[in-house]
Amino acid sequence: MIILFQIIFAIFTLYAMINVWQKSKQGFLGKKGKFFWVCFWFVAMLVVIWPNSVQKIADYLGIGRGSDLVVYSSIVIIFFVLFKLNIKIEGLKKDFTKIVRSESLKD
Amino acid sequence: MFIAIVPAWNEEKKIREVAEGLSNIVDEVVVVDDNSKDNTFFEAEKAGAKVLSHKINLGQGAALETGHEYARKIGADYVLHFDGDGQFCIEDILLALNYLKENNLDILLGSRFLDDRTNIPFIKKYFIFPVSKIINKFFTGLKLSDVHNGFRILNKNALNKIKIRQNKMAHATEIVSQIKKHKLNYDEFPVKVIYYETGQGVLGGIKIIKDLFLSKFY
Repeated sequence: MIILFQIIFAIFTLYAMINVWQKSKQGFLGKKGKFFWVCFWFVAMLVVIWPNSVQKIADYLGIGRGSDLVVYSSIVIIFFVLFKLNIKIEGLKKDFTKIVRSESLKD
Repeated sequence: MFIAIVPAWNEEKKIREVAEGLSNIVDEVVVVDDNSKDNTFFEAEKAGAKVLSHKINLGQGAALETGHEYARKIGADYVLHFDGDGQFCIEDILLALNYLKENNLDILLGSRFLDDRTNIPFIKKYFIFPVSKIINKFFTGLKLSDVHNGFRILNKNALNKIKIRQNKMAHATEIVSQIKKHKLNYDEFPVKVIYYETGQGVLGGIKIIKDLFLSKFY
């Protein structure tokens, strides 16, 4: 039986996928990024609607419960995204430092 | 050619006096105005300094590197780092430059602990500096008596090798680690520091550690 949480989460993932589509159309996301995020939200929706589907993978990996697998994977993904964001921010800092510096050195 | 690089941020009260004093000692005074909100830019110009202006506030490390780029561009032989708030004494400069030349050093680092001319605030002397020394040794591998002193003289070799990437206050530790990395000849030299404000407190120190830690990942 589908519980209320599953319905809400499924609607949210649909909203997230539409958002990914729009951002890609506006040019904020490349092809790879669009593919990754659509797959990510699609898998998230499947897992929420059929929670037992991850149980088999969890058993194979030696993790007790399917929900534990979801939690562990989420933590890894969140840290990876944070790392990528930090790299991006550092890159931006370097870029604007270069621009500000070259402006100040113009005669 | 000997030039002085003075990073300045909201130093309208002191910058003119500092720049005028320096102009009697060095060939060119370069004030890097780090997007001051006051009249630092005009005060420095009135003193006859070459003023480089950042359109965005980047931090002291970035201001010094902007000065370095200018110094490399004009082919400076020696570069002095000198704070814009008037905490250093003009009289120390020529003595330090002569010491650097006589001892064939690439870089000379000012130290307030090598003589008793500086009246160091209690918290800095007995808490902040001892902890800073340990952290500096951890990040740079070099043991110095004064880890965050803004008075430095670099020769051409050091100027070409040291590239400051830390925009904010962690540049002081970064410079020391680059001294080790490039195997530069260095020494410390006694300078007097006059305290108008306490300067960086514990929070400033924590920010520096955070910047140094994060820089290990990029």
